[in-house]
Amino acid sequence: MSTTLILILVVAGAYLAAHVAFGWLARRFDVISGAEYVLLGVLLGPEVSGLISSSVVGSFAPILTLALGWIGAVVGAQFYLPVLSRIPIIDFRVAFLEATLALGLVSAAMTGVFMWLFGLTLAQAVFPSIAMGAVATVSAPSGIALTLRRLGRRAPVARQLEVATAIDALVAIVAFGLLLAIGHAEPEAAVRAPTPTEWAVIGISIGLVGGALFHLFLGGEQEVDRLFIGLAGAIILASGAAAYLRLSPLFPAMLIGFILMNTSANRDAVKEVLGKVERPLYFVLLIFAGAAWEWGGWLWAVPVVIFLIARMLAKVVGGGVAAVLTQSTSRLGLGWGRALFGQGALAIAIGLNYQIVGDLPFSGIVFTAAVVSVLLTDFGSARWVNSVLGPWLRRRPRIGRPEPAPLPTEEEA
Amino acid sequence: MRRLLILALLYGGMSLILPLGVSGQGGQALLTFGFLILAAYTVGELAAAVRLPKIIGYLVAGVVFGPYVLGAVTYEASVRLDAVSQLAIGLIAFLAGAELQWSEVKERGAILLKVMSTELLFGFVVLAVFIYALHGLIPPLRGAGTATVVAFALLFASVAIVHSPAVTMAILNETGARGPVARTALGVVLLADVAVVLLFSAVLAVAQMLAPATDAAAAGSIGAVIWEIIGAILIGGALGVGVAAYLRFVGRELMLFAVLITFFGIEIARLAHVELLLMLLVAGFVTESLSEHGQELRRAMERSAAPVFVVFFALSGAKINLPGVAPLLPLVLPIALVRAAAIWAGTRVGSRWAGAYGPERRYVWMGLVSQAGVAIGLATILADAYGEMGEYMRALLLGLIAVNETVGPVLFRRALDESGEIALGRAQSTGSGPGAAPGRAAPPAVGSAPDPGAASGAAS
Repeated sequence: MSTTLILILVVAGAYLAAHVAFGWLARRFDVISGAEYVLLGVLLGPEVSGLISSSVVGSFAPILTLALGWIGAVVGAQFYLPVLSRIPIIDFRVAFLEATLALGLVSAAMTGVFMWLFGLTLAQAVFPSIAMGAVATVSAPSGIALTLRRLGRRAPVARQLEVATAIDALVAIVAFGLLLAIGHAEPEAAVRAPTPTEWAVIGISIGLVGGALFHLFLGGEQEVDRLFIGLAGAIILASGAAAYLRLSPLFPAMLIGFILMNTSANRDAVKEVLGKVERPLYFVLLIFAGAAWEWGGWLWAVPVVIFLIARMLAKVVGGGVAAVLTQSTSRLGLGWGRALFGQGALAIAIGLNYQIVGDLPFSGIVFTAAVVSVLLTDFGSARWVNSVLGPWLRRRPRIGRPEPAPLPTEEEA
Repeated sequence: MRRLLILALLYGGMSLILPLGVSGQGGQALLTFGFLILAAYTVGELAAAVRLPKIIGYLVAGVVFGPYVLGAVTYEASVRLDAVSQLAIGLIAFLAGAELQWSEVKERGAILLKVMSTELLFGFVVLAVFIYALHGLIPPLRGAGTATVVAFALLFASVAIVHSPAVTMAILNETGARGPVARTALGVVLLADVAVVLLFSAVLAVAQMLAPATDAAAAGSIGAVIWEIIGAILIGGALGVGVAAYLRFVGRELMLFAVLITFFGIEIARLAHVELLLMLLVAGFVTESLSEHGQELRRAMERSAAPVFVVFFALSGAKINLPGVAPLLPLVLPIALVRAAAIWAGTRVGSRWAGAYGPERRYVWMGLVSQAGVAIGLATILADAYGEMGEYMRALLLGLIAVNETVGPVLFRRALDESGEIALGRAQSTGSGPGAAPGRAAPPAVGSAPDPGAASGAAS
């Protein structure tokens, strides 16, 4: 079957599944949409049915790269400064502490595992460990949103969770982007190899230039078609440039999303275009990520299981320590990090990015850990959020103490 | 100034990035795609600023940034983006079919057939004779037998008369023109695309009798050609019914659906060995005829197509081998002039025969000069079938296509401008001109000069 026909059938099938089956599953069992597409991809991939072969997955690399970039732009577009400035600074402190601790704890744990299991030196083990740390840091906002909609009320911890998921994504993408810059191989052409700092600057520059090009391209016009071309051109250019340079497309694209959101006069149109195109790319990414997965033997199970356990512990410990250090335990409790167990598409994106760059150490294990973590945590994500939010919402508010306000919207900002 | 800054940033960035990366992977194709979207669109706006068609800008961007001049777009990257070119052709064909209305086909079908058949006949005969007369100047034909020379002349002429639906649609989309010149040119170009496939196959069969091909399999058979046409109509009709059903019962995610259905059509045409352009033309026509929501799908397709069209024409420009074409210009330019003259004469005679005495008699020929992808495809078939002679023919044809691809859009735009159809189209689309009303443009009365006040409808 030809590559094009496969792509068409996959996307059409994914949409059909989304509208017919998975939507019902999500409503009936509180399952967050995402994991089932990965599972569908695994079923279609070489490990099960073989309908999508490894070579076909490889030929879709440009589309997958674009999907990575687009997801990065969507993440960056969350950070609209006028809205963020109205959030109490304490929420950001807690979130950054939690994210950094989760990244550090999982990276350290996996470093030990790689050194023990595969006899690696510290320098060799650190690289894939930090990649897994970045994957572990990501948490899914969809479980929180689903639970809040169901409960119909807000708790103090709800806003913290929303901030935490955004900051988790930011820290994960920055850490992963820097990792690929630091561990960059020498270029093929006969040029002086850039230093790690220079690679990091190149990655940042791609994002900044992409954002600048969008505004130059748009000029003063706000016509939607022109905005679409400018946006698509900037993200495609940045994603392609990053992939060509063996950097992560997520990082520069996140910068583009941030710049567009904070400097564009037509933010609503930008958000609408980003959201509309994200959906099909999201499906393609998840399905082909599942199809790209290949099992490397039972030896892989050890680091993957340890990763799962380490991540859950890191989220709880990281959240608790962050609450203690910022004196927020009365507001959040010690176990609020449980609500961050769910992972979502960004974790898959980071794992897949690590795999498709090529020739990176233990890419199969990193990717497998991401896939397994998403598959396991997404199914229970809403329940974990409920277990954290529920007790707060069952408390009766004290007289005179108002309910905490939701995050301000852009219009209010 | 702003546009020059964009181009400087883009080219500067590419120059810095290209030596540092890894070629042969999808990243370079994506990078080139993004670069071409922004660079070609910007050059297109520069072209529009000097009153040239935007697609001239896209072509120039491809030539300038392509592998033969500045090298920002490498040959390998341009080949990897062939899927984009296929998508563009598919979208163009579907949109062109959706432009046609059954009432118009019934009313103007006879006119279009007469004009098309006459100008093709004129072009074919004149070019074949001209090439035969020039055969002493063509290296592979010096000292060749009469049969070989005649075969070469016939084959060359059968490809040289091809027009370009892609360029025609691009100009009409850019200008918003919907008057008799625009619609006659579009109709003739679309019909001619089908007729040329038949003519080419017949000529190829005759040429093989005169001078057998070195690769007979590449030359194909008459039966295959007949299936190409009939199969395209049947499958295109079925596809159109399917699309209309989707619009009726689902009607969601139209942008994604537009891209998917086009890719699906391309793949079906390849697997079934049918003519792609005709198949999607029929699909677009059937969809528009059966569905009330055809306009929404067209709008979604036009939005999806915007970056794709830009890159398609830029890639066409990037593939023009300037160093290869330059030595052939002394031969190519006279052929191009003779071709244009034959089209002019054939259109005049055909219009007279059809009783069309309006502006189409004077201006339509200018919309038939352009050439692009279809001609390139046929030239490649000749190169595969006839070895060294075929390769020379292809080189000559590519030179001719390069000239017509550049000059043709300028001529067509001028024709639409002088006939007043651009101004009328803009007035109708803003709702400010005389007779402006929502809905499609109604075709003018047969044989009458156009009355701007009588033509109604807004550009889509």
